[in-house]
Amino acid sequence: MIKKIVFTSICLIIVFSLLLSGCAQSSAPVEPKTEAEQPQAEEPSDKPVTLRVWTHQNDAFNEGYQMIADAYMAENPNVTINFETFDYDTYIQTLQTSLPAGTEADILQMFGSWVCSYASGGNLAETPPSVFSLEQAMSDVYSAQIAGYICEEKLFGVPQEFNIEYGAALVNTRLAEKAGISDISSGWADWDAFIADAKKLAVTQDGVMTRSGYNYTGSDGTAATFYSLILQYGGQYLTDDGFKVNTSEGKKALELMKRFVDEGLNDPLLFNDEQNWVGDSFFEETSAIGLVGPWVIPEYSTDFKDVLEHTQYINLPSISTDPVFIASSGWGLTVSANSPNQEVAWDFVSFATLNSAQSIKWNLASGTLPALKANATGASKEQLIAEFPYFEPFLNILEFGAHEGQFPDRDLVWYEITYPRILDFLQGNTSLDETLETIEREVSETF
Amino acid sequence: METPHPTNKIALPDFLSRLAHGRDSAQRIFILVTVIPLILYMAFWTLFPMVWGLALAFFDYSSRRAGGAFLGLGAENPFIGLQNFIDMFNFQPDAPLQVRQFHSSLKTTLLFAFLVLPLNLSITLPLSVLIENTHERLKGVFRTFFFLPVLAPSVGVAIMWGYIYHPQRGLLNGIRTLIGGKLVATNWIGDTSLFFLGIPVALLAIIFAYLWQDLGYNLVIFIAALQNIPESIKDAARIDGVNRWQMFRHITLPLLKPTILLTSVFTMISSFQVFDIIQVITSGRPDDNVRVLVYDIFENAFRYQRMGWASAVSVVLFILVLAISIIQTRLLKTEWEY
Repeated sequence: MIKKIVFTSICLIIVFSLLLSGCAQSSAPVEPKTEAEQPQAEEPSDKPVTLRVWTHQNDAFNEGYQMIADAYMAENPNVTINFETFDYDTYIQTLQTSLPAGTEADILQMFGSWVCSYASGGNLAETPPSVFSLEQAMSDVYSAQIAGYICEEKLFGVPQEFNIEYGAALVNTRLAEKAGISDISSGWADWDAFIADAKKLAVTQDGVMTRSGYNYTGSDGTAATFYSLILQYGGQYLTDDGFKVNTSEGKKALELMKRFVDEGLNDPLLFNDEQNWVGDSFFEETSAIGLVGPWVIPEYSTDFKDVLEHTQYINLPSISTDPVFIASSGWGLTVSANSPNQEVAWDFVSFATLNSAQSIKWNLASGTLPALKANATGASKEQLIAEFPYFEPFLNILEFGAHEGQFPDRDLVWYEITYPRILDFLQGNTSLDETLETIEREVSETF
Repeated sequence: METPHPTNKIALPDFLSRLAHGRDSAQRIFILVTVIPLILYMAFWTLFPMVWGLALAFFDYSSRRAGGAFLGLGAENPFIGLQNFIDMFNFQPDAPLQVRQFHSSLKTTLLFAFLVLPLNLSITLPLSVLIENTHERLKGVFRTFFFLPVLAPSVGVAIMWGYIYHPQRGLLNGIRTLIGGKLVATNWIGDTSLFFLGIPVALLAIIFAYLWQDLGYNLVIFIAALQNIPESIKDAARIDGVNRWQMFRHITLPLLKPTILLTSVFTMISSFQVFDIIQVITSGRPDDNVRVLVYDIFENAFRYQRMGWASAVSVVLFILVLAISIIQTRLLKTEWEY
């Protein structure tokens, strides 16, 4: 009998647990909430409000956020802003589990490529037109950056940075001078000139590459180079017929990338994401030219001051007349659909992203380029270059940035398919045709 | 006074009434008070996740998508029955990426577990006998020496071995360079073209690091088992004139059979669950050569939010571990004790 009672109790407990969990998930949205359904924020008042903000761990980014929050709190003494930070992988997992459960913070730092996957689940609040209308956003923000924040013709959040991983590369001018290249700062007219210089910068001992002439085989650099070159050769990888890279432009792009290896600029076996990652490798001077965005500068500025003094960004040559490149929609701020403090949250988001002085302050602190066109042109551009000279070559090409396109899972496409398949090819393990076929098939499967 | 014995036909009110009265009521209440919290704990933290995990395996579930009202199931997270399991049997070269990654993960996991087990036992068993035969004062030193890596955090161990295997700055290549007088930069972890006896060198490198950390467990268990073998049996064997090898082969080894079973099952289970060392050293790359099932589950579930698929892979892993544990138990079962 006792067995029976214990068994019955366990069954009841399981059912009860399921019901409890069901209750906990009752906020899991079925449809994106309309403005009317979203928790109505109270009118701004002097009532104390505490905003929780989630960001990923990046000291430079978070210093920038703290500066803005301090300025906002000084203007709004009734508002307290608390930051909660997570390391990158944990942040992705936390967002994925907390948003459906409705336990997230009021404001969420979000990478543009992720926005629509959360917005479609009804977890993010639509940007109120009074803060930033869709029309304003499309005209004021670079198209490559706003694209990720527009989901089914609705705007969710506001981007803060122009995420760029192609177009200009880090160059160690001291190593260039030692290699006898005196005019490297003037740039390269074409890829032949680039290859000639990078070849001089590569160092090989006993058949082992000890310094890469051009380290472009990080995961972001590899994917960004491949897709940007397809555009520069006049192709498109997202077509009406689906995802297509097994094309003449795709072949040319891979051939050029392989040429960098064959000409001895880089050894992809020793320089990749897992070994000698481009940021580490450049500042440790085991790479003379490195393909990575300017956000690395604040990351390494404390420990590698000496290298930084001889570091310069220089534009890469372009196949096409216009130096077109692809870019992901970068980091920005979004507001949770479950936030009870939406009005205050949007007020802070507006202050941080649309207030020119504040958003520039954040860009300078984080080493990221502005998403707002106004902040990247005219007097703002001059201010940015004066305070952060590394921006200059990027600011000249931002208008040529094209959005990478809407993928159901962009990280999967970049990091699990494009990067490993191309790296395999560059390491000599697969053929060019096989690589293009595999990328095309595997990416197509994700749609 | 007759002791009340619960019968199969007793009604709940009667049972509750008997709980409160009678000679054994205090004992029964004590049992219930101590057992119920444990059952509740188990139900909430173990049973529910298990049932939930099993249920998800039959759904195309992603917490990113808007599901139905009940636990987010249904709607955009539809019930798909056995489809996840059917997909696992798609061995076509153009099978979806997640299926091919599952196949390579399964192969790598089996290879890892079936290499680790014999290697571990073939090192720890003789080593424990050697340590047991050393001077009494040295035994403690050796035990501590070999057990220390077990106490080290796995992530720290993985980072350390990552440095050892680094192509340019690594200790291993450094020693080879020193000996050969020529710069060597073998990429032990990243070179997918390196194989030894058909096994990826990257996997062997991981196994070596894993063994280094894991040996201490089995070693300590074997030493404890060796100390429990009655001296009288050994004395009897000595009187019969057995030499050291015969003693080990015919006395020690058979008597250690239950311990070998225990360590085999534990080692096999922990090998199937290997994750942290692979995550830190390789991130599952290169070319999925070192991608194991737990890493595959982690990536699918938490990186790409394919919870349904990840749950189905978890079910396969569970069945695999259960089956292998049962087989091991049957094969190494003994009918006697000493």
